Amino acid sequence: MSPDAGVAQPSDRRADDRPPSRPRRPLRGISGRVALVTGAGQGIGRAIADRLAAEGARVAVNDVNPLTAAEVAEAIGGLAVPFDCASRAAVIAGVATIEAELGPLSLAVANHAFMTMAPFVEESLDDWQRTLDVNLKGALWVTQAAARSMITGGYGRIVCIASEWGITGWPEAGAYAASKGGIIALVKSAARALGPLGVAVNAIAPGVTATAQLQVDADAAGLTYDEMVAVYAGDVPLGRVARPADIAAVAAYLLSEPAGAMVGQVVSPNGGSLT
Amino acid sequence: MGTETAPIALVTGAASGIGAACARQLAEVGYVVIGVDLRPAPGCVAAYELDVADASAVEAMVADVEARYGPIDAVVSAAGFYEWVPFLDLDDSHVDRAVDVLVTGTANVCRSVLRRMLPRGQGAICTIGSELGLCGDADAAHYAACKGAIHALTKSIAREAAPRGVRVNAVAPGPTDTPLLKPEMRSPEYIESLVLQRLVDPAEIAAAVCFILDVDDHNLVGQVISPNAGAVV
Repeated sequence: MSPDAGVAQPSDRRADDRPPSRPRRPLRGISGRVALVTGAGQGIGRAIADRLAAEGARVAVNDVNPLTAAEVAEAIGGLAVPFDCASRAAVIAGVATIEAELGPLSLAVANHAFMTMAPFVEESLDDWQRTLDVNLKGALWVTQAAARSMITGGYGRIVCIASEWGITGWPEAGAYAASKGGIIALVKSAARALGPLGVAVNAIAPGVTATAQLQVDADAAGLTYDEMVAVYAGDVPLGRVARPADIAAVAAYLLSEPAGAMVGQVVSPNGGSLT
Repeated sequence: MGTETAPIALVTGAASGIGAACARQLAEVGYVVIGVDLRPAPGCVAAYELDVADASAVEAMVADVEARYGPIDAVVSAAGFYEWVPFLDLDDSHVDRAVDVLVTGTANVCRSVLRRMLPRGQGAICTIGSELGLCGDADAAHYAACKGAIHALTKSIAREAAPRGVRVNAVAPGPTDTPLLKPEMRSPEYIESLVLQRLVDPAEIAAAVCFILDVDDHNLVGQVISPNAGAVV
């Protein structure tokens, strides 16, 4: 994902400060644990970092952009760990830093992503490779390094952020959809490998979510950000696109201790656009 | 007593197993829990004894609950049974009973509560499907087919209800340590076939249900969430 370049992000923070009308308890098994969220400088990753910090986790905030990583870490009292998830060595070094500063990981979210849009027949090799390097290989490196840190303690929860388009495909996002579909298969394999070792791995396939990434879609469609959001919302039974906080709530559940029977599953917070 | 302001949850199949675990956790979270079962559900604020396959009994119960306790905010439709019969031995009585209780029963409960939730523009329903509704089950084709029907029913109702403010989703449990579990599913050979090499605890199903019912927190609509210990990945 390109760094936030001042794009409007109307729903990046919890829109509603009102107390929940439904009773809610803190999720068991998050408070006090060390968590890594990649791509947490903005959008969904930032919302997940916010939520985990609110639930009492000690959060390592990763982003490829050191400035946004530092900003979010500062805001939530976390540790900034900027690195490029496409680099296996950088991920390993980053996790080592987290272990040295905060202790072994028990929670990890591979959220970082890169996306371009282009007509399928014009897909460029550079975009294809960068998309797969960051999204698919990056998810593998993060899952691998995080799992190594978790296995020693025999406990862990890992969530990889896929996409609804990783299930349905999308005509102008072939590379992105392929990378996200790959993440789903990767998650299932990782879950089978790591489940017996106490580490539960699952995927979230968000529907269209109100983040800066939608500016890519808007630009491709020749619309403004708000027009693009309205177009997408029209296809959602719930009548709105996802807020980053919606995705963060699902991530928090999957990272909680009682979600341990969730193994290699794909949860789709999409307002009913794909059921 | 302060219960006037607490939200109300209706749980069918609340006398045992997954329904009982859901009733317990919802009460812990702060819901006033109304239990429905063929026999009295222990630990609930009120317990109604009826067969969910009986649409008029369900309608009367829902009307009575709302008259006595107030609007129902959340519903868990867990009433059901599991029996195993080889396919060629299935007769009308097996199939009718499975369809009546599992599919029609779920539809009856959803219909009676949605009649009231939709005009209010709020509410949350969680049905209970099954991993067997996803992957099928040798020796229980009627059960698996009915659970698959619950998934499709849930998705359809969800699409109809979401634009009107009511959220419907399903949980599809894997092999869960309840009295309903098939004895073969306790064998070491079967347990070893699961990724986690253990059964699912009813409390884990209840945790998924509580999460799904917390619809102010997320945007899940028409989803089937599968805490199944890796039985179906």
